[in-house]
Amino acid sequence: MKQTRFAYIDDGKSLHTLGRFSEVYMSQETKEVNDFRQERSSGKDSTKLSIFPYGPSSGGMVESVYFDILTEGEKIEDIRYDTDFKNRAIKFTGLSLEEALLRMERMNGVHAASYSSLFCQICEKSMDMEITDDIKNLRVLMMEAERISSHLFVVSRLTGGASQNIAHMNTLLLRENLLRAIATAFGHRYFFGVNRIGGIGRPVNVKELGEQVMRISEEYGEIYHTLMDSRVFIDRLDRSAIIKGEQSSGPVMRGSGIKRDGRSSHRYYEGVQFNVPTSNGGDALARFIVRSEEIAESASIIEQAISGIGDIKLDSQDVHAVEGIISGGFMETPSGDASLILKIKSGHLEGIGFRSPSVLNMEAFAESIHGNTFADFLFGYESLGIWISEMGDFQ
Amino acid sequence: MKAWILRSFRKGIITTKFPKEKNEAASPWSTIPVHVSGSKDPYCPTGAINDGTVKADLCISCGMCYPEFEPSMDIRGSVSKLSVPVLKKSIRLYHLDAGTCGACNLEVMALAGPHYDMARLGISFTNTPRHADALLVTGVLAPGMMEPLKKAFDAMAAPKVVFAIGACAISGSLLGKSISEVLNADVTVPGCPPDPFAIMDAIQKARGRQ
Repeated sequence: MKQTRFAYIDDGKSLHTLGRFSEVYMSQETKEVNDFRQERSSGKDSTKLSIFPYGPSSGGMVESVYFDILTEGEKIEDIRYDTDFKNRAIKFTGLSLEEALLRMERMNGVHAASYSSLFCQICEKSMDMEITDDIKNLRVLMMEAERISSHLFVVSRLTGGASQNIAHMNTLLLRENLLRAIATAFGHRYFFGVNRIGGIGRPVNVKELGEQVMRISEEYGEIYHTLMDSRVFIDRLDRSAIIKGEQSSGPVMRGSGIKRDGRSSHRYYEGVQFNVPTSNGGDALARFIVRSEEIAESASIIEQAISGIGDIKLDSQDVHAVEGIISGGFMETPSGDASLILKIKSGHLEGIGFRSPSVLNMEAFAESIHGNTFADFLFGYESLGIWISEMGDFQ
Repeated sequence: MKAWILRSFRKGIITTKFPKEKNEAASPWSTIPVHVSGSKDPYCPTGAINDGTVKADLCISCGMCYPEFEPSMDIRGSVSKLSVPVLKKSIRLYHLDAGTCGACNLEVMALAGPHYDMARLGISFTNTPRHADALLVTGVLAPGMMEPLKKAFDAMAAPKVVFAIGACAISGSLLGKSISEVLNADVTVPGCPPDPFAIMDAIQKARGRQ
């Protein structure tokens, strides 16, 4: 099934759709799902434009993706993208919840903590499982550490692209330090296998993580402020790929001045004090500012989460059979809000609907790049933190 | 500019001395688990465990075998079918994502970071397979990437080495097919994802420097 702008399950009779930032689904009679999809078309006569094909495998890109860049001289008139080359069409239906969890972690391995926490939360809710505050705080900690790691990666791509080599290396250094600290605390650099439905799967040791994260955040703060003094760097990001409006997600949306963050209304973050950084430019610079300020906020959230974690017991709860329940949820991943809706029957998945933030952000990017020059392409694209892996189909 | 220079001096040298010295870090569950106690055949979603031993190529680092199994912390689990001495001085890598979750890609890219600094060993990335000595393939073989993978391999000049990096590329893991449908891997690097030290160790093996 292709991803659309909404997560939905179509069971043949009814269409169950999940709005953004919502755990409550809406049911209506099935209609053409294509209504959700909006085809983009270029207003230009494409026969007069040069087409620059880029991808699907090419140096400089993190993942396999194909672009046709339509240009008029240096100016980009339009782009068409194809994210299907590396489409894995991951199968979920028919699987037990534990098997499905392992696949959900790998929907986007770089954001595995967010996706596995979302999946576990929906399953636990559907089975009326009580999750301890220790586990909730631990999941918050994992997701915020993941956010810092992900944002540092995006910053490293921007600084590398702008030939800010010392900043680039320093950002990579901080990210590697963080990944090593995560590996020591959780046994895996990307949190694979930590979350289980009803709890966690192995012992963790987070005592030293808070201090390490705070040090990384402070060091990044110095790098951020030095970068903001660099006219060369700022010029590269300023006015690149301007995105406005709510048809984007996460730091991209907040970079266009919209103060909306799924964490503010998520039950895991109840009682957690944090600011939602925004910026008004809507360009790559605004997104860089939002990400940089979020790193400091995430470090503060991690401190709060650690103070709320006591002795974590590994007593996992049995996954018990529930009959034909549909349940949904959302999570603010580092790239933005993801929606997931599950139909569970007898401990197995009977249906799944999913919408990743990258689906929205890729559309927003394609709309925004018109009128930019070739040199802006990299900064526009990388500043969005798009992950092609999470844009794939699912079954 | 002054701030950057001062910052660099304050940092000192942080690059590893690996492979001359032992790796100073490892992602525990990305190393192959070993039996420590209890059942020798606990549940494994990929069937990697048989009578107390783990088939490295199938292990997806999920930790479902805990507490009977624990990580070995051994990053030298890669297997190289060949050794190409002509690449001892310099090797150029082309990375191809055949269908990853993204994690393997970042572990490959980490080699260019300051902790690993692969350039000190004569290892570098290239942006085109035509200039590459080795093809580093990550991810399961997505149908759409079969053709690009074949074309990338055909574009390379001999001698050319194919690395299958991670459980997905080697065995297809939980998510699809292995790259063996299109190419035979000369070097396999197990792990989900493999630790950057494990990837570096595998590259050195293929060059006959281990």
